[in-house]
Amino acid sequence: MPVANIAISGLGLISACGKNIAETLCAFTDEKRNAGKVSLFKTELDYPVFEVKDFSSLSCGLMRTLGLTFYAVRAAIKDADLENDLNDFRIGVCLGTTVSSQLNDTDFYSEYRRKGSASMNSVDRFLKSNLAQAVAEEFKVRTNFCTTIVNACSSGTDAIGVGLSWLRNGYCDIVIAGGGDELNRVPFDGFGSLGVVSKSVCAPFDRNRSGLNLGEGAGIIILEKEEINRKRNKKPDLFLNGYGLASDAYHLTAPRPDGSGLEKALFFALGEAGLSPKDIAFVNAHGTATHDNDLVEGKVLSRVFGKEIKFLSTKGFTGHTLGAAGGLEAVFTALNLRQGWIPKSPGFLSLDEDIGIAPVAEKTLIKGKFAVSTSLAFGGNNSALVISRN
Amino acid sequence: MHIAGMGVVFNRGRGLDVLEKALEDGWVMPDSGYRVLPTTLTDKVALKEARRADNLSKMASLAAYDAFIDSGISNSVKDNLGIILATAFGPHVTTFRFLDDILNFGDAGVSPTLFSHSVHNAAVSYIALNLGSRGPTLTMTEFAASFHQALILAESWLTEKRCEYILVGCADQTGEVMQYIVSQKLKVAADGKIKPFNLASDPECVPGEGSAFFLVTNNKQYHKYAKISGLDVVSKEDPELLILDSDGMTGDERRYLKQAGKARLVSSYAPIFGSFLTLSGFSCLVAALSIKRQKLFAPPVCVNPHNLNLCKGTESEKVNRINCLRYDCNNRELLIRLEVN
Repeated sequence: MPVANIAISGLGLISACGKNIAETLCAFTDEKRNAGKVSLFKTELDYPVFEVKDFSSLSCGLMRTLGLTFYAVRAAIKDADLENDLNDFRIGVCLGTTVSSQLNDTDFYSEYRRKGSASMNSVDRFLKSNLAQAVAEEFKVRTNFCTTIVNACSSGTDAIGVGLSWLRNGYCDIVIAGGGDELNRVPFDGFGSLGVVSKSVCAPFDRNRSGLNLGEGAGIIILEKEEINRKRNKKPDLFLNGYGLASDAYHLTAPRPDGSGLEKALFFALGEAGLSPKDIAFVNAHGTATHDNDLVEGKVLSRVFGKEIKFLSTKGFTGHTLGAAGGLEAVFTALNLRQGWIPKSPGFLSLDEDIGIAPVAEKTLIKGKFAVSTSLAFGGNNSALVISRN
Repeated sequence: MHIAGMGVVFNRGRGLDVLEKALEDGWVMPDSGYRVLPTTLTDKVALKEARRADNLSKMASLAAYDAFIDSGISNSVKDNLGIILATAFGPHVTTFRFLDDILNFGDAGVSPTLFSHSVHNAAVSYIALNLGSRGPTLTMTEFAASFHQALILAESWLTEKRCEYILVGCADQTGEVMQYIVSQKLKVAADGKIKPFNLASDPECVPGEGSAFFLVTNNKQYHKYAKISGLDVVSKEDPELLILDSDGMTGDERRYLKQAGKARLVSSYAPIFGSFLTLSGFSCLVAALSIKRQKLFAPPVCVNPHNLNLCKGTESEKVNRINCLRYDCNNRELLIRLEVN
């Protein structure tokens, strides 16, 4: 099958790190980390989080996840200059999430437990919250290629990978892809119960890391066949070249200690892009700052790319945004390739000898044209994207 | 895509033999009220890594395991075996149990086990664990279009050679809270019987649950049941049978009349399985079984106010093509076409 070149023609994002590209790059440069106490819901737990401040969902009655995602999608469509032409093309919508796929409204359930009946408002909100379907409706996209990926923390990355498959198989001309998730009490309590949340601001890959911080946001990329992009008189500078996905088949929540699942995903993505590890300028790592994730991932990066590989975890800027993480980190990777630099990996201070390699400790210039973004998830999912610039 | 193996778990039990018997017996009120019986979800071998799993994961694990075994494909392909699960609502029973923890014990008193099982992809994780599969794994949700979207992705992965074999399937469950929600949002049949040919503006449903899995491949050598030859494509040649997923779950069913009215033969097997948004996977199972056996199964409930050409009985027929049709809540027509080879 001839492989179409897939351009990244638009980027949109929102996170605690910034509500647009300029703010985000500024935060990267200034090493600004907007972590603080939870304000979105009441909780007895005292873990720092990365909330998006001064943001209220624009669409009344919808989940916050949708508000965040609509915001990023709108920015990405504008960036791609598709505001007026979306339905001139065969569009797909593929988005990852965790929270908006679950009927986990404590008020609804509490009322149901108490009375044996409950208002259907929460249910109605949930039924409107299938992320891909909601985006298709909000932006009036007519498509049969519309799906929400629920692969836990790799959902955003996998949604982008599915979009790539749709384009390469000729199902669509353009795909709105990425992920979105709000900060929510259920995963906040759940991750807390697993003992993987830090009481201080997270320090990915650091010797003294003590766990993750949760965050929220949305990261969206517009994927477009290069030929379509050029027909629109555009000159794409960013491309999605490869995607790999492999299972650990090891444990429900812990990564396989030998990292072979991640390694397989990386080599698949590199192979699809026609690249070898030495072609990669940097890696935006999953880097949650949990002991196990960073240990396994760091060792794999070292083994696959060598000890000199430049890598970072932007979760020190955003927190772990779950279903949004892969989308946000793909946007960051594309932006950093375009800018020619990556920020300091925030929170990192000292080498973990068990990992054996360290992320970048200062803002670092990048020379190459190719970069990788990785995601690992509950259920033993390992995903990798290869992104390039002209 | 060739169907090389199939597996099923539903209210009458587990396996293709049980399914075929249910199709031949016709409609009976299930003892379990369309729930999968706990005794069905026990198997020390197939669930060896899933002892702590919830019912949704167990249903999916058993159906996927059976599809893999049924295919006869060697264990050595497991590095090349992908898994795609479609689910409309995921493990909501476990999610509500997790909410019980929050409400009973507070934020700090919740169970990590319940939390890790409340994510949608827990079931696929268990399937991969049980089978030792190291290929790509994905869970997707798009309400009534979920299974259809999963088939589209399976076709893409096979074409791209992301893997050579894929276990693609669906799983959904019901539970006390979901049954309450259904009773508030939809019309539930008082007699416990779905009447799929009523095709009314306000149809009746009966919440059900289960899992159906297919092992699909482009490798003709493993062709065993049928070929999934079209998605969203209306066949130029009339299929011998049109299976309707009119189970009362997606609103106005008069939409089915346009296609059903001109079909050579019409059937629906929703009354056997119960109503749930991923029913399409079960209709595909029946279609593939019909093609394999070269016989058509009579619809279990034949109330037929629109005088559709209902499939009459279980006598042998020439069966080359079957279409399965679902309309989702957004009025999208979701068609899956199966052919003999």
